[in-house]
Amino acid sequence: MTAAPVAEGLFAETAEGPRLLGSTCATCGTPYFPKSPVCRNPACANSRMEDAGFGPKGTLWSYTVQYYPPPPPAKYDEPYVPYALAIIDLPEGLRVLARISTGTPEDVVVGADVELVIEKLYTAADGSDVLTWKFRQV
Amino acid sequence: MRDVAVLGVGMHTWGKFPDKSLADLSRHAVTAALADAGVSWREIQAVAAASSRFSGGKGWGLNGNDVVEDMGPTGVPVYNLSAGCAAGGNAFNIGYTLVASGLYDRVLVVGGEKMPKGFIQTSGVEEEADLEYLRQLAVGMPGPAFWGFLARRRMADYGTTEEQLARIAVKAHQIGKHNDNARFRQEFTIEDVLNSPLVSYPLRLYEICPVSDGAAAVVLCSADEARKRTSKPVWAAASAVATARFDDGIPKGLATVVPPGVTHHSEAKACVSRALTDAGVSPRDLDLVELQDNTVYYELAFPEEWGLCEPGEAESLVERGETMPGGRLPVNPSGGFLCFGEATTAMGVFQVCELAWQLRGESGARQVPDAKLALAQTLGLGGNASAVVLRR
Repeated sequence: MTAAPVAEGLFAETAEGPRLLGSTCATCGTPYFPKSPVCRNPACANSRMEDAGFGPKGTLWSYTVQYYPPPPPAKYDEPYVPYALAIIDLPEGLRVLARISTGTPEDVVVGADVELVIEKLYTAADGSDVLTWKFRQV
Repeated sequence: MRDVAVLGVGMHTWGKFPDKSLADLSRHAVTAALADAGVSWREIQAVAAASSRFSGGKGWGLNGNDVVEDMGPTGVPVYNLSAGCAAGGNAFNIGYTLVASGLYDRVLVVGGEKMPKGFIQTSGVEEEADLEYLRQLAVGMPGPAFWGFLARRRMADYGTTEEQLARIAVKAHQIGKHNDNARFRQEFTIEDVLNSPLVSYPLRLYEICPVSDGAAAVVLCSADEARKRTSKPVWAAASAVATARFDDGIPKGLATVVPPGVTHHSEAKACVSRALTDAGVSPRDLDLVELQDNTVYYELAFPEEWGLCEPGEAESLVERGETMPGGRLPVNPSGGFLCFGEATTAMGVFQVCELAWQLRGESGARQVPDAKLALAQTLGLGGNASAVVLRR
Protein backbone atom coordinates (compact mmCIF):
# COMPACT_ATOMS: atom_id res chain seq x y z
CA MET A 1 0.00 0.00 0.00
CA THR A 2 1.37 3.41 -0.94
CA ALA A 3 1.18 6.37 1.36
CA ALA A 4 1.77 10.09 0.81
CA PRO A 5 1.99 13.09 3.13
CA VAL A 6 -0.98 15.47 3.20
CA ALA A 7 1.44 18.26 2.27
CA GLU A 8 5.14 18.26 1.40
CA GLY A 9 7.91 19.43 3.72
CA LEU A 10 6.06 19.38 7.04
CA PHE A 11 7.28 16.12 8.63
CA ALA A 12 9.58 13.16 8.02
CA GLU A 13 10.61 9.78 9.42
CA THR A 14 14.31 10.17 10.30
CA ALA A 15 16.90 7.74 11.68
CA GLU A 16 16.02 9.12 15.14
CA GLY A 17 12.28 8.79 14.57
CA PRO A 18 9.54 11.14 13.38
CA ARG A 19 10.25 14.87 13.29
CA LEU A 20 8.36 18.05 12.41
CA LEU A 21 10.35 19.99 9.82
CA GLY A 22 10.81 23.62 10.77
CA SER A 23 13.52 26.12 11.38
CA THR A 24 15.28 27.82 14.27
CA CYS A 25 16.89 31.24 14.40
CA ALA A 26 20.58 30.77 15.30
CA THR A 27 20.66 34.24 16.87
CA CYS A 28 17.71 34.12 19.28
CA GLY A 29 16.71 30.44 19.26
CA THR A 30 13.10 31.04 18.20
CA PRO A 31 11.56 27.89 16.66
CA TYR A 32 9.24 27.97 13.63
CA PHE A 33 6.87 25.41 12.11
CA PRO A 34 6.54 25.17 9.18
CA LYS A 35 9.90 26.53 8.01
CA SER A 36 10.16 30.30 8.01
CA PRO A 37 12.33 32.30 5.62
CA VAL A 38 12.95 34.92 8.30
CA CYS A 39 12.98 35.29 12.08
CA ARG A 40 9.79 37.11 13.10
CA ASN A 41 10.71 37.67 16.73
CA PRO A 42 10.62 41.48 17.10
CA ALA A 43 13.27 41.22 19.83
CA CYS A 44 15.74 39.55 17.45
CA ALA A 45 18.14 41.89 15.66
CA ASN A 46 19.74 39.41 13.27
CA SER A 47 17.68 36.75 11.50
CA ARG A 48 19.78 33.62 10.88
CA MET A 49 17.46 30.78 9.95
CA GLU A 50 18.59 27.16 10.09
CA ASP A 51 16.62 24.01 9.31
CA ALA A 52 15.49 22.13 12.40
CA GLY A 53 13.61 18.95 13.29
CA PHE A 54 11.22 19.12 16.26
CA GLY A 55 10.00 16.28 18.45
CA PRO A 56 9.24 13.66 19.43
CA LYS A 57 8.54 14.63 23.07
CA GLY A 58 5.92 17.16 24.12
CA THR A 59 3.31 18.15 26.72
CA LEU A 60 -0.40 18.52 26.00
CA TRP A 61 -1.42 22.15 26.78
CA SER A 62 -5.09 21.69 25.93
CA TYR A 63 -7.41 19.78 23.63
CA THR A 64 -10.85 19.81 22.09
CA VAL A 65 -12.99 17.20 20.37
CA GLN A 66 -14.16 17.90 16.84
CA TYR A 67 -17.77 16.72 17.13
CA TYR A 68 -19.01 17.88 13.74
CA PRO A 69 -17.48 16.88 10.40
CA PRO A 70 -15.06 19.67 9.46
CA PRO A 71 -15.77 21.59 6.26
CA PRO A 72 -13.39 21.44 3.26
CA PRO A 73 -10.48 21.43 2.74
CA ALA A 74 -10.43 18.97 5.67
CA LYS A 75 -11.11 15.38 4.59
CA TYR A 76 -12.09 12.31 6.62
CA ASP A 77 -13.11 8.69 6.16
CA GLU A 78 -16.78 7.80 6.31
CA PRO A 79 -18.53 7.23 8.61
CA TYR A 80 -17.31 10.33 10.43
CA VAL A 81 -15.95 9.68 13.93
CA PRO A 82 -15.23 12.67 16.26
CA TYR A 83 -11.52 13.07 16.97
CA ALA A 84 -9.38 14.99 19.44
CA LEU A 85 -7.29 18.00 18.46
CA ALA A 86 -4.63 19.42 20.73
CA ILE A 87 -2.17 22.19 21.38
CA ILE A 88 1.20 20.60 22.17
CA ASP A 89 4.14 22.39 23.82
CA LEU A 90 7.56 21.04 22.79
CA PRO A 91 10.73 21.40 24.89
CA GLU A 92 12.28 23.28 21.93
CA GLY A 93 9.89 26.15 22.79
CA LEU A 94 7.47 25.42 19.96
CA ARG A 95 3.69 25.30 20.52
CA VAL A 96 2.06 23.29 17.73
CA LEU A 97 -1.43 22.25 16.66
CA ALA A 98 -1.99 18.54 16.04
CA ARG A 99 -4.37 15.65 15.90
CA ILE A 100 -4.32 13.22 18.80
CA SER A 101 -3.55 9.66 17.72
CA THR A 102 -5.76 6.64 18.24
CA GLY A 103 -7.82 6.20 21.35
CA THR A 104 -11.08 7.70 22.47
CA PRO A 105 -11.22 11.48 22.84
CA GLU A 106 -12.53 11.07 26.40
CA ASP A 107 -9.13 9.69 27.43
CA VAL A 108 -7.19 12.86 26.59
CA VAL A 109 -5.62 14.59 29.61
CA VAL A 110 -4.43 18.20 29.94
CA GLY A 111 -0.77 18.12 30.94
CA ALA A 112 -0.14 14.61 29.55
CA ASP A 113 3.23 13.61 28.13
CA VAL A 114 2.90 13.00 24.41
CA GLU A 115 5.12 11.88 21.54
CA LEU A 116 5.07 12.59 17.83
CA VAL A 117 3.82 9.97 15.38
CA ILE A 118 3.13 10.01 11.65
CA GLU A 119 -0.15 8.32 10.88
CA LYS A 120 -2.99 8.13 8.42
CA LEU A 121 -5.27 11.16 8.19
CA TYR A 122 -7.72 9.72 5.66
CA THR A 123 -7.91 7.33 2.72
CA ALA A 124 -7.36 8.86 -0.70
CA ALA A 125 -9.71 8.16 -3.62
CA ASP A 126 -7.23 5.59 -5.00
CA GLY A 127 -7.20 3.67 -1.71
CA SER A 128 -3.79 4.89 -0.54
CA ASP A 129 -3.16 6.44 2.88
CA VAL A 130 -2.77 10.19 3.28
CA LEU A 131 -0.44 10.88 6.23
CA THR A 132 -0.12 13.69 8.74
CA TRP A 133 1.57 14.38 12.06
CA LYS A 134 -0.21 13.45 15.27
CA PHE A 135 0.69 13.12 18.93
CA ARG A 136 0.10 10.05 21.08
CA GLN A 137 -0.27 10.08 24.86
CA VAL A 138 2.49 8.06 26.55
CA MET B 1 -7.06 66.22 19.13
CA ARG B 2 -10.66 67.46 19.38
CA ASP B 3 -13.46 65.91 21.43
CA VAL B 4 -15.68 63.56 19.41
CA ALA B 5 -19.40 62.98 20.05
CA VAL B 6 -21.59 60.03 19.05
CA LEU B 7 -24.50 62.11 17.74
CA GLY B 8 -26.71 59.38 16.33
CA VAL B 9 -26.92 55.58 16.15
CA GLY B 10 -29.12 53.14 14.25
CA MET B 11 -29.34 49.49 13.32
CA HIS B 12 -31.37 47.01 11.37
CA THR B 13 -32.65 44.06 13.39
CA TRP B 14 -30.24 41.07 13.38
CA GLY B 15 -31.51 37.83 11.80
CA LYS B 16 -31.69 36.04 8.48
CA PHE B 17 -33.30 38.14 5.74
CA PRO B 18 -33.28 36.24 2.43
CA ASP B 19 -35.67 38.80 0.89
CA LYS B 20 -33.50 41.82 1.69
CA SER B 21 -30.25 42.92 0.10
CA LEU B 22 -27.25 44.20 2.02
CA ALA B 23 -28.10 47.62 0.59
CA ASP B 24 -31.55 47.33 2.17
CA LEU B 25 -30.08 46.49 5.59
CA SER B 26 -27.43 49.21 5.40
CA ARG B 27 -29.90 51.85 4.17
CA HIS B 28 -32.17 51.08 7.12
CA ALA B 29 -29.31 51.45 9.61
CA VAL B 30 -27.88 54.62 8.03
CA THR B 31 -31.29 56.27 7.74
CA ALA B 32 -32.02 55.48 11.39
CA ALA B 33 -28.64 56.85 12.54
CA LEU B 34 -29.07 60.05 10.51
CA ALA B 35 -32.57 60.57 11.92
CA ASP B 36 -31.30 59.90 15.45
CA ALA B 37 -28.54 62.47 14.90
CA GLY B 38 -30.77 65.02 13.23
CA VAL B 39 -28.32 65.16 10.33
CA SER B 40 -29.21 64.87 6.64
CA TRP B 41 -27.29 62.58 4.29
CA ARG B 42 -25.99 65.63 2.37
CA GLU B 43 -24.37 66.93 5.60
CA ILE B 44 -22.18 63.81 5.98
CA GLN B 45 -18.62 64.80 5.02
CA ALA B 46 -16.90 61.40 5.07
CA VAL B 47 -17.75 57.69 5.43
CA ALA B 48 -15.75 54.99 7.23
CA ALA B 49 -17.07 51.51 6.48
CA ALA B 50 -16.19 47.97 7.52
CA SER B 51 -15.05 45.85 4.58
CA SER B 52 -16.68 42.46 4.18
CA ARG B 53 -15.40 39.45 2.28
CA PHE B 54 -18.82 37.82 2.55
CA SER B 55 -21.24 40.33 1.06
CA GLY B 56 -21.36 43.49 -1.03
CA GLY B 57 -18.36 45.67 -1.60
CA LYS B 58 -18.12 44.71 -5.29
CA GLY B 59 -16.03 41.71 -4.23
CA TRP B 60 -13.25 44.06 -3.11
CA GLY B 61 -14.57 45.08 0.28
CA LEU B 62 -15.78 48.44 -1.04
CA ASN B 63 -18.79 48.38 1.26
CA GLY B 64 -18.62 52.10 2.00
CA ASN B 65 -18.86 52.84 -1.71
CA ASP B 66 -22.00 50.67 -1.90
CA VAL B 67 -23.57 52.76 0.86
CA VAL B 68 -22.66 56.07 -0.77
CA GLU B 69 -24.01 54.94 -4.15
CA ASP B 70 -27.22 53.82 -2.50
CA MET B 71 -27.76 56.86 -0.28
CA GLY B 72 -26.81 59.32 -3.04
CA PRO B 73 -23.32 59.97 -4.44
CA THR B 74 -22.29 63.28 -2.90
CA GLY B 75 -18.61 62.89 -3.70
CA VAL B 76 -17.57 62.37 -0.07
CA PRO B 77 -14.36 60.51 0.75
CA VAL B 78 -14.90 56.84 1.62
CA TYR B 79 -12.58 54.73 3.79
CA ASN B 80 -13.08 50.96 3.59
CA LEU B 81 -11.50 49.15 6.52
CA SER B 82 -10.60 45.47 6.45
CA ALA B 83 -9.72 43.83 9.77
CA GLY B 84 -11.61 40.53 9.76
CA CYS B 85 -14.32 40.48 12.42
CA ALA B 86 -12.74 43.57 14.02
CA ALA B 87 -13.46 45.68 10.91
CA GLY B 88 -16.46 47.48 12.42
CA GLY B 89 -14.37 48.58 15.38
CA ASN B 90 -11.48 49.59 13.13
CA ALA B 91 -13.86 51.59 10.92
CA PHE B 92 -15.08 53.39 14.04
CA ASN B 93 -11.46 54.20 14.87
CA ILE B 94 -10.99 55.84 11.46
CA GLY B 95 -14.24 57.81 11.78
CA TYR B 96 -13.17 58.90 15.26
CA THR B 97 -9.75 59.94 14.00
CA LEU B 98 -11.20 61.93 11.09
CA VAL B 99 -13.29 64.02 13.49
CA ALA B 100 -10.72 64.21 16.32
CA SER B 101 -8.05 65.40 13.89
CA GLY B 102 -10.21 68.29 12.73
CA LEU B 103 -10.42 67.07 9.13
CA TYR B 104 -14.22 66.66 9.23
CA ASP B 105 -17.08 67.67 11.52
CA ARG B 106 -19.70 65.06 10.56
CA VAL B 107 -18.67 61.47 9.71
CA LEU B 108 -20.71 58.31 9.16
CA VAL B 109 -19.43 54.92 10.36
CA VAL B 110 -21.24 51.88 8.97
CA GLY B 111 -21.00 48.09 8.99
CA GLY B 112 -23.35 45.59 7.33
CA GLU B 113 -23.33 41.89 6.51
CA LYS B 114 -25.35 39.17 4.91
CA MET B 115 -23.61 35.98 6.05
CA PRO B 116 -23.36 32.65 4.25
CA LYS B 117 -24.71 29.62 6.14
CA GLY B 118 -22.71 27.61 8.64
CA PHE B 119 -19.59 28.20 10.68
CA ILE B 120 -17.29 30.87 9.30
CA GLN B 121 -14.46 29.54 7.16
CA THR B 122 -11.32 31.14 8.51
CA SER B 123 -9.61 31.45 5.13
CA GLY B 124 -10.80 32.32 1.67
CA VAL B 125 -7.43 31.35 0.20
CA GLU B 126 -7.06 27.81 -1.11
CA GLU B 127 -3.33 27.21 -1.31
CA GLU B 128 -0.90 25.44 1.00
CA ALA B 129 1.18 28.59 1.45
CA ASP B 130 -1.82 29.97 3.38
CA LEU B 131 -1.38 28.62 6.91
CA GLU B 132 -5.10 28.81 7.78
CA TYR B 133 -5.81 26.62 4.75
CA LEU B 134 -2.96 24.26 5.60
CA ARG B 135 -4.22 23.90 9.19
CA GLN B 136 -7.65 22.76 8.02
CA LEU B 137 -6.16 20.47 5.39
CA ALA B 138 -3.44 18.82 7.50
CA VAL B 139 -4.88 18.89 11.03
CA GLY B 140 -8.62 18.93 10.26
CA MET B 141 -9.12 21.88 12.56
CA PRO B 142 -11.79 24.50 11.79
CA GLY B 143 -12.05 27.81 13.66
CA PRO B 144 -14.35 26.93 16.59
CA ALA B 145 -11.78 24.37 17.81
CA PHE B 146 -9.68 27.32 19.05
CA TRP B 147 -12.43 28.24 21.48
CA GLY B 148 -12.66 24.61 22.59
CA PHE B 149 -8.91 24.58 23.41
CA LEU B 150 -9.15 27.77 25.43
CA ALA B 151 -12.27 26.71 27.33
CA ARG B 152 -10.84 23.26 28.13
CA ARG B 153 -7.61 24.81 29.39
CA ARG B 154 -9.60 27.12 31.64
CA MET B 155 -11.34 24.07 33.11
CA ALA B 156 -7.89 22.69 34.00
CA ASP B 157 -6.62 26.01 35.37
CA TYR B 158 -9.64 27.12 37.40
CA GLY B 159 -11.90 24.10 37.71
CA THR B 160 -14.53 25.71 35.48
CA THR B 161 -17.46 23.32 35.01
CA GLU B 162 -19.64 22.69 31.97
CA GLU B 163 -22.58 24.00 34.02
CA GLN B 164 -20.71 27.27 34.60
CA LEU B 165 -20.12 27.61 30.86
CA ALA B 166 -23.80 26.90 30.18
CA ARG B 167 -24.89 29.48 32.75
CA ILE B 168 -23.33 32.24 30.65
CA ALA B 169 -25.54 31.35 27.68
CA VAL B 170 -28.55 31.29 30.00
CA LYS B 171 -27.63 34.74 31.28
CA ALA B 172 -27.19 36.13 27.75
CA HIS B 173 -30.69 35.07 26.78
CA GLN B 174 -32.23 36.38 29.99
CA ILE B 175 -31.07 39.79 28.75
CA GLY B 176 -31.46 39.35 25.00
CA LYS B 177 -35.16 38.54 25.25
CA HIS B 178 -35.68 42.22 26.11
CA ASN B 179 -33.85 43.49 23.01
CA ASP B 180 -36.08 44.11 19.99
CA ASN B 181 -33.03 44.11 17.70
CA ALA B 182 -31.83 40.66 18.83
CA ARG B 183 -32.34 37.62 16.61
CA PHE B 184 -32.79 35.04 19.41
CA ARG B 185 -35.20 36.23 22.06
CA GLN B 186 -36.21 33.09 23.95
CA GLU B 187 -34.90 32.00 27.36
CA PHE B 188 -33.00 28.76 27.89
CA THR B 189 -32.41 26.70 31.03
CA ILE B 190 -28.99 25.29 31.92
CA GLU B 191 -30.37 21.89 30.93
CA ASP B 192 -31.40 23.24 27.50
CA VAL B 193 -27.86 24.48 26.92
CA LEU B 194 -26.24 21.26 28.20
CA ASN B 195 -28.57 19.24 25.95
CA SER B 196 -27.57 21.18 22.83
CA PRO B 197 -25.11 19.27 20.62
CA LEU B 198 -21.40 19.33 21.42
CA VAL B 199 -19.55 21.31 18.75
CA SER B 200 -15.96 21.63 19.97
CA TYR B 201 -15.67 20.04 23.40
CA PRO B 202 -16.36 21.43 25.95
CA LEU B 203 -18.40 23.95 23.96
CA ARG B 204 -21.94 23.26 22.80
CA LEU B 205 -24.10 24.72 20.07
CA TYR B 206 -25.88 27.20 22.37
CA GLU B 207 -22.51 28.35 23.74
CA ILE B 208 -21.20 29.49 20.35
CA CYS B 209 -22.74 32.35 18.40
CA PRO B 210 -24.22 31.56 14.99
CA VAL B 211 -23.90 33.87 11.99
CA SER B 212 -26.55 36.47 11.20
CA ASP B 213 -27.40 39.26 8.80
CA GLY B 214 -27.42 42.78 10.20
CA ALA B 215 -26.28 46.37 9.77
CA ALA B 216 -25.48 49.25 12.10
CA ALA B 217 -24.46 52.88 11.64
CA VAL B 218 -23.13 55.71 13.78
CA VAL B 219 -22.90 59.47 13.14
CA LEU B 220 -19.85 61.09 14.76
CA CYS B 221 -19.38 64.82 15.08
CA SER B 222 -17.21 67.50 16.64
CA ALA B 223 -17.98 69.01 20.04
CA ASP B 224 -19.21 72.27 18.46
CA GLU B 225 -21.62 70.33 16.27
CA ALA B 226 -22.83 68.25 19.21
CA ARG B 227 -23.60 71.29 21.37
CA LYS B 228 -25.62 72.80 18.52
CA ARG B 229 -27.65 69.68 17.89
CA THR B 230 -28.24 67.91 21.23
CA SER B 231 -28.54 68.63 24.94
CA LYS B 232 -27.55 65.06 25.90
CA PRO B 233 -24.37 64.20 23.99
CA VAL B 234 -22.56 60.89 24.30
CA TRP B 235 -18.79 61.29 23.98
CA ALA B 236 -16.22 59.00 22.42
CA ALA B 237 -13.67 59.18 25.23
CA ALA B 238 -11.19 56.98 23.36
CA SER B 239 -10.82 54.65 20.39
CA ALA B 240 -7.88 52.28 19.92
CA VAL B 241 -6.72 49.56 17.53
CA ALA B 242 -4.04 46.92 18.04
CA THR B 243 -2.60 43.76 16.53
CA ALA B 244 -1.35 40.61 18.24
CA ARG B 245 2.08 40.28 19.80
CA PHE B 246 4.62 37.65 18.80
CA ASP B 247 4.62 35.68 22.04
CA ASP B 248 1.06 35.68 23.43
CA GLY B 249 0.72 31.90 23.04
CA ILE B 250 -2.23 31.92 20.60
CA PRO B 251 -1.22 29.79 17.58
CA LYS B 252 -1.38 31.52 14.23
CA GLY B 253 -1.39 29.06 11.38
CA LEU B 254 0.08 25.78 12.64
CA ALA B 255 2.20 26.95 15.57
CA THR B 256 3.60 29.71 17.74
CA VAL B 257 6.24 29.94 20.44
CA VAL B 258 5.55 28.68 23.97
CA PRO B 259 4.73 31.98 25.69
CA PRO B 260 6.84 33.31 28.57
CA GLY B 261 3.65 34.31 30.42
CA VAL B 262 -0.05 33.53 30.45
CA THR B 263 -1.68 32.66 27.13
CA HIS B 264 -4.03 35.48 26.14
CA HIS B 265 -5.37 37.55 23.24
CA SER B 266 -2.70 40.25 23.28
CA GLU B 267 -4.39 42.35 20.58
CA ALA B 268 -7.58 42.67 22.63
CA LYS B 269 -5.73 43.45 25.84
CA ALA B 270 -3.51 46.04 24.14
CA CYS B 271 -6.31 48.04 22.52
CA VAL B 272 -8.49 47.91 25.64
CA SER B 273 -5.59 49.09 27.81
CA ARG B 274 -4.77 51.87 25.35
CA ALA B 275 -8.39 53.01 25.17
CA LEU B 276 -8.77 53.08 28.96
CA THR B 277 -5.49 54.99 29.33
CA ASP B 278 -6.45 57.50 26.63
CA ALA B 279 -9.83 57.99 28.33
CA GLY B 280 -8.07 58.54 31.65
CA VAL B 281 -10.03 55.84 33.47
CA SER B 282 -9.23 52.55 35.19
CA PRO B 283 -10.82 49.18 34.33
CA ARG B 284 -12.95 49.19 37.48
CA ASP B 285 -14.47 52.57 36.60
CA LEU B 286 -16.48 50.97 33.78
CA ASP B 287 -20.24 50.72 34.23
CA LEU B 288 -20.69 48.20 31.43
CA VAL B 289 -18.81 46.25 28.76
CA GLU B 290 -19.82 44.94 25.35
CA LEU B 291 -17.25 42.29 24.47
CA GLN B 292 -16.93 39.89 21.57
CA ASP B 293 -18.64 36.77 22.88
CA ASN B 294 -18.26 34.44 19.90
CA THR B 295 -18.34 31.87 22.68
CA VAL B 296 -19.22 31.92 26.36
CA TYR B 297 -15.52 31.41 27.15
CA TYR B 298 -14.72 35.02 26.33
CA GLU B 299 -17.17 36.32 28.92
CA LEU B 300 -14.97 34.61 31.51
CA ALA B 301 -11.53 35.32 30.04
CA PHE B 302 -11.72 38.87 28.71
CA PRO B 303 -12.82 40.67 31.92
CA GLU B 304 -9.92 38.99 33.73
CA GLU B 305 -7.35 39.69 30.99
CA TRP B 306 -8.31 43.37 31.04
CA GLY B 307 -8.26 43.82 34.81
CA LEU B 308 -12.00 44.23 35.23
CA CYS B 309 -11.92 41.43 37.82
CA GLU B 310 -9.39 39.03 39.33
CA PRO B 311 -8.10 35.94 37.47
CA GLY B 312 -10.40 33.00 38.24
CA GLU B 313 -13.13 35.27 39.58
CA ALA B 314 -15.37 35.46 36.51
CA GLU B 315 -17.36 32.24 37.11
CA SER B 316 -18.47 33.42 40.54
CA LEU B 317 -19.42 36.84 39.15
CA VAL B 318 -21.68 35.15 36.61
CA GLU B 319 -23.20 32.83 39.22
CA ARG B 320 -23.97 35.76 41.53
CA GLY B 321 -25.61 37.72 38.72
CA GLU B 322 -22.91 40.41 38.83
CA THR B 323 -22.60 40.41 35.01
CA MET B 324 -26.33 41.14 34.60
CA PRO B 325 -27.40 44.77 33.91
CA GLY B 326 -27.96 45.41 37.63
CA GLY B 327 -24.71 43.80 38.79
CA ARG B 328 -21.22 45.05 39.63
CA LEU B 329 -19.79 44.29 36.17
CA PRO B 330 -22.54 44.24 33.52
CA VAL B 331 -21.28 42.31 30.47
CA ASN B 332 -23.09 42.43 27.14
CA PRO B 333 -26.35 44.08 28.24
CA SER B 334 -27.39 43.92 24.57
CA GLY B 335 -27.55 40.13 24.84
CA GLY B 336 -24.27 39.96 22.94
CA PHE B 337 -23.26 37.86 19.97
CA LEU B 338 -25.00 34.85 21.54
CA CYS B 339 -28.40 36.55 21.13
CA PHE B 340 -27.66 38.48 17.94
CA GLY B 341 -25.49 36.06 16.01
CA GLU B 342 -22.39 37.43 14.38
CA ALA B 343 -22.81 39.67 11.36
CA THR B 344 -19.00 39.75 11.40
CA THR B 345 -17.87 43.20 10.28
CA ALA B 346 -21.02 44.94 11.51
CA MET B 347 -20.43 43.93 15.14
CA GLY B 348 -18.06 46.73 16.14
CA VAL B 349 -20.64 49.30 15.02
CA PHE B 350 -23.49 47.38 16.63
CA GLN B 351 -21.63 47.55 19.95
CA VAL B 352 -21.30 51.34 19.75
CA CYS B 353 -25.06 51.61 19.18
CA GLU B 354 -25.70 49.58 22.33
CA LEU B 355 -23.25 51.67 24.36
CA ALA B 356 -24.92 54.90 23.22
CA TRP B 357 -28.40 53.66 24.10
CA GLN B 358 -27.19 52.51 27.52
CA LEU B 359 -25.47 55.84 28.25
CA ARG B 360 -28.60 57.76 27.22
CA GLY B 361 -30.74 55.56 29.48
CA GLU B 362 -32.83 54.29 26.56
CA SER B 363 -32.34 50.54 27.02
CA GLY B 364 -35.57 49.70 28.82
CA ALA B 365 -35.65 46.37 30.66
CA ARG B 366 -31.93 45.73 29.98
CA GLN B 367 -30.81 49.19 31.13
CA VAL B 368 -27.69 49.34 33.30
CA PRO B 369 -28.70 51.75 36.10
CA ASP B 370 -27.07 55.18 35.80
CA ALA B 371 -24.55 54.07 33.18
CA LYS B 372 -21.90 56.76 32.63
CA LEU B 373 -18.85 54.96 31.23
CA ALA B 374 -18.83 52.03 28.81
CA LEU B 375 -16.34 49.88 26.87
CA ALA B 376 -16.75 47.93 23.62
CA GLN B 377 -14.22 45.50 22.07
CA THR B 378 -13.90 43.45 18.89
CA LEU B 379 -11.45 40.75 17.80
CA GLY B 380 -10.76 39.67 14.23
CA LEU B 381 -8.80 37.33 12.00
CA GLY B 382 -5.20 38.30 11.43
CA GLY B 383 -4.65 39.34 15.04
CA ASN B 384 -6.82 42.46 14.81
CA ALA B 385 -8.67 44.07 17.69
CA SER B 386 -10.31 47.37 18.49
CA ALA B 387 -11.73 49.05 21.56
CA VAL B 388 -13.85 52.13 22.20
CA VAL B 389 -14.74 53.93 25.43
CA LEU B 390 -17.89 56.05 25.48
CA ARG B 391 -19.04 58.35 28.30
CA ARG B 392 -21.87 60.75 28.93
